[in-house]
Amino acid sequence: MLTKVHSGLDPAPGIWWKPAHKAEKVWVAIAFAWCMVLFAMMPLWHWKGGQNPSGIRRRVDPVKFYQRTVEFATQYKIGEDRGIPIVAPPPGAEVYLTGMTFQWFPILQLQAGATYRLHMSSLDMNHGFSLYPMNVNFQVVPGYDYALQVTPTAAGDFRIICNEFCGIGHHTMVGRVIVVDGAGKPLADNSHAVLRDREAK
Amino acid sequence: MSATASFPHRVCPATGLVIASAAEPLIKINAVVAVVSLLVGAVAALLLVLTRWQAVHLLPAVWYYRILGVHGMNMLIFFIIYFEMAVLWFAGTVLLNSRPANPKLGWFSFSLMLVGSALVEWAQWTGRADVLFTSYPPLKAHPLFYLGIILFAVGALTVTGLFFATLVIAKREQTYEGSMPLVVYGAVTAAIIAVITLLHGAIIYIPTFLWSIGLIKSIDPQIYRMIWWALGHSSQQINVAAMVAIWYMLSALTIGGVVLNEKVSRSAFVLYVLFISMASAHHLLVDPGFSSAWKIVNTSYFMYMAVLASMIHGFTVPAGMELGMRLRGFTDGLFGWLRRAPWGDPGFSALVFSIVVFGFVGGITGVTIGTEQINIIAHNTLRIPGHFHATVVSGTAMAFMGATYYLLPLVFQRKVAFWSLAKIQPYLFALGMLLLSMGMTFAGSFGVPRRHWDISFAQAPFDVQFNPSVDIVLAVMGIGGLLAVTGALSFILIAVKSVFFGEAITTWETGKEIAGIPQGLTMPPVHAANVDELNDALHAESRGIAGATPGTLVLVGIFLVAFVVYYFTNWKLLSFLWKVG
Amino acid sequence: MADSPSGGVPEAPPFFQRMFDNVFLLLALGLIVMLVVFTGWGMWEILTMPAGTLP
Repeated sequence: MLTKVHSGLDPAPGIWWKPAHKAEKVWVAIAFAWCMVLFAMMPLWHWKGGQNPSGIRRRVDPVKFYQRTVEFATQYKIGEDRGIPIVAPPPGAEVYLTGMTFQWFPILQLQAGATYRLHMSSLDMNHGFSLYPMNVNFQVVPGYDYALQVTPTAAGDFRIICNEFCGIGHHTMVGRVIVVDGAGKPLADNSHAVLRDREAK
Repeated sequence: MSATASFPHRVCPATGLVIASAAEPLIKINAVVAVVSLLVGAVAALLLVLTRWQAVHLLPAVWYYRILGVHGMNMLIFFIIYFEMAVLWFAGTVLLNSRPANPKLGWFSFSLMLVGSALVEWAQWTGRADVLFTSYPPLKAHPLFYLGIILFAVGALTVTGLFFATLVIAKREQTYEGSMPLVVYGAVTAAIIAVITLLHGAIIYIPTFLWSIGLIKSIDPQIYRMIWWALGHSSQQINVAAMVAIWYMLSALTIGGVVLNEKVSRSAFVLYVLFISMASAHHLLVDPGFSSAWKIVNTSYFMYMAVLASMIHGFTVPAGMELGMRLRGFTDGLFGWLRRAPWGDPGFSALVFSIVVFGFVGGITGVTIGTEQINIIAHNTLRIPGHFHATVVSGTAMAFMGATYYLLPLVFQRKVAFWSLAKIQPYLFALGMLLLSMGMTFAGSFGVPRRHWDISFAQAPFDVQFNPSVDIVLAVMGIGGLLAVTGALSFILIAVKSVFFGEAITTWETGKEIAGIPQGLTMPPVHAANVDELNDALHAESRGIAGATPGTLVLVGIFLVAFVVYYFTNWKLLSFLWKVG
Repeated sequence: MADSPSGGVPEAPPFFQRMFDNVFLLLALGLIVMLVVFTGWGMWEILTMPAGTLP
């Protein structure tokens, strides 16, 4: 190399551990500061924000979890839709939802503004809990109880799409969550998953 | 760069580099098999995009999931890793003027990889591995599926080891002076990440194989997901490092791009080595197995130090291009160096599209959806493939295509066939992939799931009505996909014709344009005679903060603004959700 | 060529330059960091997770 300037294909000559020029230093400093902002946002949201994937996480036996879910469904059952129980637990309750090929059991009826501990697990394969249209997504893993504290924000008739491949019936796996407002509306009516935040007439 | 190498070799007439006769066929065979895998993956891509485009919905369910697995394996593992084996053989030997370590073992390893990939293809196509690319237990495939992957991984790991051995040989035989070139340093980074990747692959696939033949009772699904993703995402970080190395290489070859500061660029590669692999955790952010502390530390690439590295390369690569051009006399205005660059050279256009789409679309979406809490609105939606098609395809694959346009004349000693098509191929591919990625990202924002055969939910017990915009964005995805497949098939056609039926280059002429040979080789970029003087002047204090590369500073400034806006918009979107914690 | 005054003995590269040039050191560090922070810690998290009581 006869010049100091060289390309990435040339061996780096001599002592290359040298200070950078001003523009490079400035960019690295700005980029570093932005990286610190990115990093700080996560703990900050845990402290101040309303959506975190924390939960109470425990090991469970899949069959025992399913049996507990059936027990829960029986205890708070208020109706049925297409053979799946509609279950209305009281605010503050321990709520159970099991994903299994190829359904979500049971159908939950919750109250807007109330807080529940929602336990999720699978009887068999990995499933993906995707609450539509809110777009709340969690992985449902057999052998693990993911108990998230949830507070629905508005009334509506929601769907649970399974978004983790669980077998040939994966795309038929849809569940239902009903959220009623203070006046007990909407009633279970299996129409579209429309977000309704006013009293239904 | 001497022609006095003691082993059988030829000297490249264009670059003066020594090409060991034992290394050259290894480079070529891996590149050829890479392109064959790309073909399989591209045909699969066509079938898939015409199925996810709900209005067309081409494949039946079983075949959709099956071809989805084929597409993942061929693109993310076979195409990319075979190409990277070629890159390692090339970087360790040609770029260092060295002979390869143990070429016989290199051929044996290649055979292992070939047998492994054949087993996997057979298992997938015959329906014995309908478990998708990730094969999450308790989903179980035929034992030969897992065995095939293990053989492939052992072969690849051996070649990686031979690369390190070649570095030792080159050092010992003093085939270069000073520190290895930056491009080779990038290849080293890729190779180190490959060791991390393949080690985790062994840790997870060997027990899973034993489970598939009944010797182990069960595989814990959460442990599998954790270790598999240490393989699965780290393998994509191999791609990032290889891509960046190729950026520096194409920058030099196409327009005489220079290295601004070796310390800065190498520090960025070292940050990759230390911190990039742990971000595999971003696949596990909404899994029950891990605490938020583990999730935050790992998904952040350790306080975003590897993101800092990417942002460094995102500056030094374009800045090196700008400086290289300014030192050749292209000094007009802020962007004269860019406007007057050789946009008709497919190596150059591929380079630029790779940098821009990887950075602006892939990088920004990736860091955002890889944030612990923002992942809640993204996990397993179509936003995920929207992101990674912008990184690994529009980024790495695009860069590999650009490199191929130079390697065909340099290594295969062939002219690039269908030259007019070659000149527009990067534009076609980049535009198609951009539309595909954006279509998928928007659909995912509406909640459309990934890996899902039917979003009309015709066979589900409850109806799901997506926002009508979803039909439009899926059409955009579909059209983008068709364009991209056309771009990919064009590339494959050009590569195959050039290698097997192309015009051999018998003499090297410089000084005039020749169809089929990129301008960086026929009219090699040469800096001004007083290049060091010019360089010093451009770096003078009096130029202030703009320094030698004001155009690049503007570009990275725009990038930063886009990043900040996209990132905080997503936090806002997250805040509309149910309270979850 | 060495960036040193003509006729002089080339100086030893700075500590960090030599560290960065040491490929096997980087390989070791890359493996160690990953195996500790991601794999080791992650396995510990899963293996020490308590059994649920299904309240």
